[in-house]
Amino acid sequence: MQHTDVAASARGVGTGRLLQGGRAVLVRCAGPFAIYAVFALLIGLPLALVLVQAVMPGLFAVQDGSNILSFEPLARVFNSAHVASSVLHSLELGMLVACTTTALGGAFAVLVQRCDIPLRTAISTVPWLVFLTPSYLKALAWVLLMSPGGYLAQFGLLPSWLGSSFFGLTGLVFVHTLSLFPLAVFIIGNALAGLGSELEDAARLSGAAPLRIWLRINGPLLAPAIALSFIATFAEVLSDFGLASTIARMSNFGVLTYGIYAAASEYPVDFPAAGAQALVLLGLVLLVVVADRLLRRRADPRLISGRSRPARLYNLGKWHRLAMAAALAVALLALVLPLTAIAARALTQTLGHGLIWSNFTSANVVAALSLNTEANDGLLRSLFYAGLTAVIASALALLLSAQLERASPVLRTAVIGLSLGSVAIPGIVLGFGYILVWNRLPGFRDWPFPHYGNGSLLVMGYVAAALPYCLVVILAAIGQLAPSLTDAARLNGVGTVRRLLAITLPLVLLSVVTAFLLTFIRTVFELPISQMLIPQSGPPAPTLILRLFSHDRDGLASAIALVAMAAAGIGAALVWYPLQRFVKPRRSAGHVHAGSSPIAETGTSP
Amino acid sequence: MKIRTTFCFAIGLSALAMAAPASASDLVLYDALDFAGPVAKAFQAKTGLTVDVVEPGSTGETLGKIAAEGNNPQFDIVWLDGSAVMERMAADHVLQAVPAAAYDKVAFTDLGKSLVPQSHAFLPTGTSTTAIEVNTKKVPADKMPKSWADLQSFAGSVAAKDPNLSGPAYQWLAGFFQTNGVDAGKALLTKTLTNKTFAGLSSGGKVDKAVLTGDASVGINQDSSIFSKIAAGEPVVAVYPSEGSVSLPQGLGISAKTQHMDAVRKFIDFVTSAEGQAVMLNGDDTDFFYIPIIKGIHAKPGRETNITYTHLDDAAASAHEKEWKQWYKETFVQ
Repeated sequence: MQHTDVAASARGVGTGRLLQGGRAVLVRCAGPFAIYAVFALLIGLPLALVLVQAVMPGLFAVQDGSNILSFEPLARVFNSAHVASSVLHSLELGMLVACTTTALGGAFAVLVQRCDIPLRTAISTVPWLVFLTPSYLKALAWVLLMSPGGYLAQFGLLPSWLGSSFFGLTGLVFVHTLSLFPLAVFIIGNALAGLGSELEDAARLSGAAPLRIWLRINGPLLAPAIALSFIATFAEVLSDFGLASTIARMSNFGVLTYGIYAAASEYPVDFPAAGAQALVLLGLVLLVVVADRLLRRRADPRLISGRSRPARLYNLGKWHRLAMAAALAVALLALVLPLTAIAARALTQTLGHGLIWSNFTSANVVAALSLNTEANDGLLRSLFYAGLTAVIASALALLLSAQLERASPVLRTAVIGLSLGSVAIPGIVLGFGYILVWNRLPGFRDWPFPHYGNGSLLVMGYVAAALPYCLVVILAAIGQLAPSLTDAARLNGVGTVRRLLAITLPLVLLSVVTAFLLTFIRTVFELPISQMLIPQSGPPAPTLILRLFSHDRDGLASAIALVAMAAAGIGAALVWYPLQRFVKPRRSAGHVHAGSSPIAETGTSP
Repeated sequence: MKIRTTFCFAIGLSALAMAAPASASDLVLYDALDFAGPVAKAFQAKTGLTVDVVEPGSTGETLGKIAAEGNNPQFDIVWLDGSAVMERMAADHVLQAVPAAAYDKVAFTDLGKSLVPQSHAFLPTGTSTTAIEVNTKKVPADKMPKSWADLQSFAGSVAAKDPNLSGPAYQWLAGFFQTNGVDAGKALLTKTLTNKTFAGLSSGGKVDKAVLTGDASVGINQDSSIFSKIAAGEPVVAVYPSEGSVSLPQGLGISAKTQHMDAVRKFIDFVTSAEGQAVMLNGDDTDFFYIPIIKGIHAKPGRETNITYTHLDDAAASAHEKEWKQWYKETFVQ
């Protein structure tokens, strides 16, 4: 097409043909352009407005705003010993947790997907359940468990040396790893599922031992997913606020996000300091992304050809009980203990009196379940917003991923960098950016939709916060599709939308649903954006939970959190299980009839 | 083609659903007080005027939101603890002066009258103060602190809020400097708050938690928070320092750009009426344990009201706000 255009214009043929060519170029560019514009509006502009204040400190001053350039905020931030130490703390923590999380998550994924261990199905739900628990609740649960007067100490299960060393780097790495390993399980597990077993089977037939197969074949093929998991975890730790404001704060382990929060929660807000620290944070993440791109210049493997065979399970022999015990230990620490602590707090009157019989009460849970209460309204509101956000974010991520697959490497790197960067930008900063764009910026503030102060902007903020995750999950799956599949359809004259819906979507459907459910669950508990963009019509559940915590009514807050987790979990299960059943048989059927399917046939031709 | 139609339909439906929850109420209230929601509900039931209640979390977070909204504020009324911050917002023209007539209508007690600011930056609706929170399981009766100076003997196990994150905590810090002198006060705090783990907490609830479960034996906390814990059966008491306590008014401020002045006036009338005050006293959380400042209204049972007050010089507190908060952050938080 491009060749024809160039040739036509070079020959200087009639203007009619030129116009036609121009229109074709326009049509071709319009799709990607629209998508990038949405992306820039969702994340780019709000982020830019926060960051630009690092060099234009007076831009959003309450009175007499000015756009004078000044490097004073940056100089102030770089000269501060506190910021330097929080940068080092954030880096140290991020690196350590990225290693431990990727190792734990990878091992867990292999164990659950490829090994013949007892209770495999039950264990495979653990990452989802851990993911259901928001990080601030997990942090609170561990504080309840490990603090000097906490539950473990009350039961005499906590040696004092452990209690005191917990509130520091050790405890942070421990809780972060247990809290984030599902992310690694999802990313590596998805790649593992798409890997199939043809290559492995071939190697085995040639006499290679399992260890050699994993080191020489599966390992390198999974490398992009492992790297993605590493980067996503690193970014997640850098941007984490739940642990930063609880365990890190209590151990005087200052990290960047807390510094940004502290600068943004006062009157007047120290916007320049927040912007300058956000700039440092973003710079760190971009460095990692660029380093990652430079390290693996090789093309990503494209393996799913529509025919991959479900892999065989390894028989672990006498080790299978030990493997199960390890998986159950992870489940106990990551899920059972924190949930028990929250449930215990939800069912007791006071914290100080501990777990004695007279201290138990059902009042908190009853209050959370009663209809037409503020708690219940907030809960329903959050479930609605989360469902809507999940639909929009996963659809958008699918469109973007399909476009990005065909985009130039530079643009691809830029968009991935920006989206991972936005993972690292704390929600509270993105929330501030949204207020600045939609309440302060002339041209935006008078738009009726989305509008600051109602649900539309909150959902938009949620979508922006969720989009990077959806992209990571869906890109990983689309990246494995052999381009020959869609190329074949395109050569047969199938349009873009139909190619996306009839070929790409069915092949990556499980990933799209994974993205949908991840978004749904995360959004039900998303805290900072809910807080900054509260609709005037009423607060979503996280703001309510936080308010109760800050007013030390953590009994009721724990009860609401428990009910919310149950509601989100049941909702997710209702989507996931029927769909899994629906997708799996079709997959195997596709395999049996692959030879007779024209698309699959073309897809595998060289 | 079918898939395409369904897809477009789904997107269209989502967009419609998003557009739906726009609201247009008679009054928008930003607050960080436990009783604001119930009061708004009772006001709505009585007058038929609708109120949207927006509560981002702590006082600091509410103020952060107002600061971010800048010259395009979305609230009509802001209702918070702390007078200094109200003065500051009035000075920035975020708030307008409360009409004199609104004060004249209220039967303030002497304490109430003393809280009315000259600038008319806010209308006081009640008050509380800062006290020393002591865990009776950890501190024996004969070792109870009696003054701010006594807290030195608890150095390392004193919990306090960061004035950068808490309006009430700034009110306390400014008052503490007023009664002890700035330099002497700084020296005293430096000797007392030696454990950074507890010196920069973000809310009264966290001070309670540190005193109840952590290593802290005593805390510097808003007294209404301590009384709500006592009412809940927790083993704590409130000790008022012998130097005197600086009162911490709950103030109603009016947005400089409100378009609903009539509704604002009605809301003020309701809050200061016996009916409104009854709603403010009908709950178990921190703020319901306020000290009433209107004649004929009595505090919740068990709440101490016989307190020796000193009043805060709001002008000085407002003028030094940035400097003192910065000092606190650099000394105890970072």
